[in-house]
Amino acid sequence: MAPPTIPGLSRRAVLLAALASPAAWALPPRTLAFPRDFGSHPDLRTEWWYITGHASAGTRTFGYQVTFFRSRVDETRGMRSGFAAKQLVFAHAAVTDLGGGRLLHDQRIARAGIGGAEADERNTRVVLRDWSLERRADGYHARIPAGDFTLALRFAPTQPVLLQGNAGLSRKGPEAAQASYYYSEPQLATTGQLVLRGQRFDVRGTAWLDHEWSEALLHPEAVGWDWIGMNLADGSALTAFHLRKKGGEALWAGGSFRSPDGVLRTFAPGEVTFEPLRVWRSPASQASYPVAWSVRTPAGRFTVQALLDDQELDSRGSTGAIYWEGLSDLLDAGGKPVGRGYLEMTGYAQPLRL
Amino acid sequence: MRALLSTFSWQELRHHPWRNAAAVVAVMLGVALAFSVHLINASALDEFSSAVRSVNGQPDLELRAAQGSFDETLYARVARDPRVALASPILEINTLATTPGRAAPLPIRVIGVDALALPAIAPALMPRPAEGAARFALFAPGQVFLNAAARTALGAATALELKEGATRHAVQVAGSVAAGGTALAVMDIGAAQDLFDRGGQLTRIDLRLAAGTDRGAFVQSLLRSPGWPAAVQVAEPGDAAQRVSNLSRAYRVNLTVLALVALFTGAFLVFSVLALSVAKRAQQFALLGVLGLTPKQRLRLVLVESLVLGGIGSVAGIALGTALAAFALRVLGGDLGGGYFAGAAPSLQWSTPAAMVYGALGVAAAMVGGWYPARAAQALPEAQTLKGLGAAPAGAGRHRVALALVLAGALLAAAPPVFGIPLAAYFSVGLLLVGGITGLPGLIALVYDRLAPRVAHRLLPLLAVERARRMRGTAAVAVSGVVASLSLAVALTVMVASFRDSVTRWLDVVLPADLYLRAASAGAAGDTGAFAPALVQAIAQVPGVARVGTVRARPVSLAPAQPPVMLLARSFDGEPAQALPLVGEALPVPAGQIGVYVSEAMVDLYGATPGTAFEPLARAFDPGHRFFVAGVWRDYVRQFGSVVLDARDFERLTGDRSVNDVSLWLAPGAAEAAVQSAVRALVAAQQRTGAGDAEGDAVEFASVGQLRATSLRIFDRSFAVTYWLQAVAIAIGLFGVAASFSAQVLARRKEFGLLAHLGFTQRQVLAVVAGEGAAWTLIGAVAGLALGLAVSVVLVKVVNPQSFHWTMDMLVPWGRLLALCAAVVAAGTLTAWLAGRAAAGRDAVMAVKEDW
Repeated sequence: MAPPTIPGLSRRAVLLAALASPAAWALPPRTLAFPRDFGSHPDLRTEWWYITGHASAGTRTFGYQVTFFRSRVDETRGMRSGFAAKQLVFAHAAVTDLGGGRLLHDQRIARAGIGGAEADERNTRVVLRDWSLERRADGYHARIPAGDFTLALRFAPTQPVLLQGNAGLSRKGPEAAQASYYYSEPQLATTGQLVLRGQRFDVRGTAWLDHEWSEALLHPEAVGWDWIGMNLADGSALTAFHLRKKGGEALWAGGSFRSPDGVLRTFAPGEVTFEPLRVWRSPASQASYPVAWSVRTPAGRFTVQALLDDQELDSRGSTGAIYWEGLSDLLDAGGKPVGRGYLEMTGYAQPLRL
Repeated sequence: MRALLSTFSWQELRHHPWRNAAAVVAVMLGVALAFSVHLINASALDEFSSAVRSVNGQPDLELRAAQGSFDETLYARVARDPRVALASPILEINTLATTPGRAAPLPIRVIGVDALALPAIAPALMPRPAEGAARFALFAPGQVFLNAAARTALGAATALELKEGATRHAVQVAGSVAAGGTALAVMDIGAAQDLFDRGGQLTRIDLRLAAGTDRGAFVQSLLRSPGWPAAVQVAEPGDAAQRVSNLSRAYRVNLTVLALVALFTGAFLVFSVLALSVAKRAQQFALLGVLGLTPKQRLRLVLVESLVLGGIGSVAGIALGTALAAFALRVLGGDLGGGYFAGAAPSLQWSTPAAMVYGALGVAAAMVGGWYPARAAQALPEAQTLKGLGAAPAGAGRHRVALALVLAGALLAAAPPVFGIPLAAYFSVGLLLVGGITGLPGLIALVYDRLAPRVAHRLLPLLAVERARRMRGTAAVAVSGVVASLSLAVALTVMVASFRDSVTRWLDVVLPADLYLRAASAGAAGDTGAFAPALVQAIAQVPGVARVGTVRARPVSLAPAQPPVMLLARSFDGEPAQALPLVGEALPVPAGQIGVYVSEAMVDLYGATPGTAFEPLARAFDPGHRFFVAGVWRDYVRQFGSVVLDARDFERLTGDRSVNDVSLWLAPGAAEAAVQSAVRALVAAQQRTGAGDAEGDAVEFASVGQLRATSLRIFDRSFAVTYWLQAVAIAIGLFGVAASFSAQVLARRKEFGLLAHLGFTQRQVLAVVAGEGAAWTLIGAVAGLALGLAVSVVLVKVVNPQSFHWTMDMLVPWGRLLALCAAVVAAGTLTAWLAGRAAAGRDAVMAVKEDW
């Protein structure tokens, strides 16, 4: 599900306010139509496109994530100016350099329209100044010239679109209003360049895309969530998440498993459990993150292991939140590596006030 | 040397504390004034430019319109340029803010910003929503964020009204911004466009360039790109600080030079004090020489004495200067009342290097003053001096040196300014003074050689004149301080009088009407004029008003590094030549061109020569127009240039018909008070229909008499410091005369004793001394007057045009100058008499019997 990396920037309150706004109505089930639904849905409050993956060049292995958010601003609806901030676009990108044991990240924010950002409604095309993510005939193209790194990657789909939840309508809580439209594109074949502090790598790998849009999201009792999106070596795709209450117990859970032959199994809330195996304490924020998990799903019991403990993102100075998001290995019940993907954990450093 | 200092020199100091104190005080005052001017200005400049920096941020480049605003499509264009990392659009509007409880509206800058682009460029402008502010206040319409100055002025108001012309807009206070400086309100760029009905307009774009972009090449490619609006300038942010510094530079340099004048006088005083003390101690020096003190050591001893005097004076001066600066910053503000740093409230910025420099300057002045006496002590003929025959007459050839110095001074006065500062002219003033004083003995010889035969039959004048004539070296030394201070006083008096006279006549021309009307608290150049054309027409219909004239003032930036030029659109009834204080003749404007009248500063700064087309103005508007410089006028208000054009031309160019000031000519017999109240009622009615509720006194009236009085009062206030300096300089000079006379009288006790033996009464002896005083100060006064007039020519004709870009007519207030000279002569005579009485009071007869 790739929940937001709290891209409030120093305007954190802005986005929090957007997400916390009372949405009284439940999203109606609808048949997603493509390529229209690859594009933006400015009528709904919040939307994101989120790509995670791993790529290698020779002996070097990297993890990366690229996220574009769109957020609607109600207060500016009546304004005439071309600068009126009717939609805000945020973007966030990070690279994990496994060899160097480090994490680099950067972010952007702008108002849509003349302000330098746009989110196309016909197909995936999100532009934020010089950052862009665009869906063309040969796949998604991301161009992210960030401060310490540059990503120029192409993600070619190898499988059909995976509709999460109930044919694309994914519940995120006990109440019907807590839901989003949600599809994924797992097993994206990735090629392109990654420039890390001036050093250029031609990389190949596998990625995962999530696109999710909704009017409201979080249950008031939720303090955070844990989520995984894993590409299995045999071509399967595993999604699992749970939302935690204050004491750590699950408020809601979900996910899906699609086998290489295309058979999709969507998990019910009671069918997924996350169990921490090993905890890493961040020396920077003093927050404790379970960097190894045992995840039980109807598709089997898996172990998730972070490939680097310190993949914490401290963005209080800019993005306003501290969370953990990083490249991880997926092991089967026998301890054999079967896949690789991203683990995201939020609400450990401070309660996520969504 | 230490032993000599603590015995020989210390005795001298102990016996003549007042004389030495005079020298120390002179050095101290010079150092204190110069250092305090430096400190005040450095503090003000620092405060002001940090406020500018916090508001403008730190972009790599700024795009701004030469005047008014430009189209926002330019933003879309540069923001997408791959060489641009970040573009921050700005819409700035100068307007007035009112709150319900507030009487006078507050001038305020409203800055429309994109809060999402700010953090990297101008973090100090970043809006900080208050607790409980509306959600998305950052972007929402009608939400403003105030800086500290605006919050202080407006109190805890949560709602206020922004006025623009007659329209008023209600806004909510949603939080604060950190930026310093004058009152400002930050709001969303889109909200600002909507609120002030400026859809599609921007006033500035700040750019942060992508890493590795060549700034110069980027600017060139921007300016050459097709369709680039000629009126949009590309400026580097350093230019803003440069502009601020340029603003006050001439004023500050002139103040510093005035302060150095005191130091200069101090150097002469050190010279005269030490020269006399060396003369008086000649026999002791000779004795020391016989006992083994080499001439070189004598030179060093006197130099060390001057060093001690200068050192004490400098240290005291630095302390006094710091205190003065702290006091002035609190009382007068950072511009000493000059009006350059309005709104800045600086704190004192102490600078150790500057203190060292000014302290060293004081010591150097003292050393320069001590050099000649030290040489005299070195060159002492020991045997002759011991016999009392040492007082050598003034050396020949000195008048040739004097002539060379004066000539060099005259030549330097013709040199152009250096970096906008008339450095050469200041050197010329210095050379004139030094040359003139060096030539004093020659002058004395010239005058008294001719005077001597005429008084040959009258005993007392004969004695006085002969002494002055024969001992002219000593006489020159004694009055050099007076000459230096008097000549500076004369020069300043002439300059201030000339300036005041020119300003007075200038006011007559620029204020022809009876009554002047302007919006209350409006700055000189709001973005919209306060009065709509309909209102002006209505005012013209008021009974008792014969006719009205209007002025629309609008700043135009013609060069990025220069402060903006004021564009004044005036309604001309007759020929512009009659309505403006023109320098020279007005030229006929060729058909198809727009005639403009530029101030003198425009000629110096932008090369706007009469009879040519003025290109920079065409670039600021539309390259299609040609602006013809039809005349040059004197503008004593806008030092950085102003351009006057016909209001009809301005309206054609800009479509802007609003005006800032309205001048009213009253019909014969009309009552001024009745006209005032009728106009007030009109304006109030206009504003009611404009914004829907009542309004207090929104306009200010000034009668021509009030304006003249106010202008001259401001003028006098800003020159008060020069009067004070004159008084100080003359007092120091006279102190020098007193010191040297008492020394001489003491040294000449034997001579007076002899006179007494010959039958002179003490009265007669004192009359001789007073006569000598009169003879010396008279020649000093003549020399001072002549030198002062020469210096004043340099000040009026060179220093002022070069610093402030305006000319003035020379006016010599003879009455005042002669009174000044007479006062100096009288004071000098009295001083000599008093000194003589004090010294000769002891038994003069006994002095003759002194035998050694």
